[in-house]
Amino acid sequence: MGDKIIFHIDVNSAFLSWEAADRLQHGDTLDLRDVPSVVGGDESKRHGIVLAKSIPAKKFNIKTGESLFSARMKCSELIIVPPNYNLYMRCSSALHQMLMEYSPYIQPFSVDEYFLDCTGMENHFGSPLEAAHKIKNRIKKELGFTVNIGISTNKLLAKMASEFEKPDKVHTLFKHEIPQKMWPLPVEELFMVGRATVSKLHAKNIFTIGDLANTDPEFLKCWLKSHGLLIWQYANGIDNSDIKTSAYGLKGIGNSTTTAFDVQDKKTANMLLLSLCETAAMRLRNANKCCRVVCVSLKDFKFNSYSHQKKLDLPTDCTNKIYQKACELFDEIWDGEPLRHMGVHLSELCESDFYQVSMFEHELQKYKALDRAIDEIRLKYGSSAIVRSCFLHSGLRPLMGCISDNASYPLMSSIL
Amino acid sequence: MKPIEMIAWFTKDGIPTPIKYKLSFDDDTVDIIKIDKIIWRSEEKIAGNRMLIFCCQSVINSTEKIYEIKYELNTCKWFIYKI
Repeated sequence: MGDKIIFHIDVNSAFLSWEAADRLQHGDTLDLRDVPSVVGGDESKRHGIVLAKSIPAKKFNIKTGESLFSARMKCSELIIVPPNYNLYMRCSSALHQMLMEYSPYIQPFSVDEYFLDCTGMENHFGSPLEAAHKIKNRIKKELGFTVNIGISTNKLLAKMASEFEKPDKVHTLFKHEIPQKMWPLPVEELFMVGRATVSKLHAKNIFTIGDLANTDPEFLKCWLKSHGLLIWQYANGIDNSDIKTSAYGLKGIGNSTTTAFDVQDKKTANMLLLSLCETAAMRLRNANKCCRVVCVSLKDFKFNSYSHQKKLDLPTDCTNKIYQKACELFDEIWDGEPLRHMGVHLSELCESDFYQVSMFEHELQKYKALDRAIDEIRLKYGSSAIVRSCFLHSGLRPLMGCISDNASYPLMSSIL
Repeated sequence: MKPIEMIAWFTKDGIPTPIKYKLSFDDDTVDIIKIDKIIWRSEEKIAGNRMLIFCCQSVINSTEKIYEIKYELNTCKWFIYKI
């Protein structure tokens, strides 16, 4: 069997392009992509960071993730637009639908990235390069935004290829092109090489992907363990992962929020935990899972982060049980410093239809019935139809988290 | 592009045809405009948002004009565009 042909389709400055296309369709005369502009969160709620930037904004050295305040310092004329996650979901699914016309083997990698297996499609759409240009131009014409397409024989190389030159370009990165096209790049450009790894590699005089590729893999394995071997394989263009057409097995459910004010007292903190637990537990039940581990993470006003987790005696999907555990964990780690960010994470999931029961938990059935009733009411009449009375007049949202109404919003993954 | 109040008829198959609409001018006057002819129709899905586009011919302020109107399926709103 010959080599596969894998496409990686990546939307150029996705959030911004989508906003721009939507505005143009609604009669706006200004194309946000042609002026310095960013998509940014709400500063009054302390979500004020750059989520996406236009190419002219990039020329002012504005970076994704920096605060809107510092972005404005770099460019006083900067246009800031709020995020709209429903729009992003709509654009992403329109793109998905169009790509389905080219191959049934398609993997959504994040909201703006797709892998497409185009092996053996030459008779239908021409050579891979021709096909990629066709797809790219059709997306631009029909959906109104531009994409980069990377072509190679595996997912890793296709993804690296789509990162080359932007926007609206098709690049190839086949095995024989690795030394010319990929090895001269700085090592931090490689997938899975993050901030922490980069400083370690620099200390050992590894500055380019080529340096890494030509390092002894045994040495890397001893030094950086399995991750060392993984990035060595990536640097040499080795990746055997398949296109995963179905969703990943769920490994954990997390929910966190940056608060609009510093949390100083235990009562407010507990309420925030409760509202995070409500949403997380609802998602857990919706996925028909129970969790065995509850983790609470905090970030204080000085941006120090810490977390604490505990195993439950029995797996549960009950809001009250999870909340109770979260409060215990919170009490154990919190020293009273003002908090700006709180999170709850549930992991070690198991099926909810078959699990160990306990002789000592008499209330369990009652709680289960209560949770089911609440879930059904919220599903039928909206999530605000029934809320806990402690949130009345508190100014806090009874159900926190979830970036859009649509819980299936796909986020970035580190697994190819 | 501005929203307009529209009267349209829909076939049994769900295909809409705009008939007449209310157009307000900058000086707050309002005119009822009859669509004399639909020259062509098409569909777009920019940013995944489906809109039907009609190129229409009408008499506006006693001059015959050709322009475009759009129907946004998602919100059921009509817009006047490219006049």
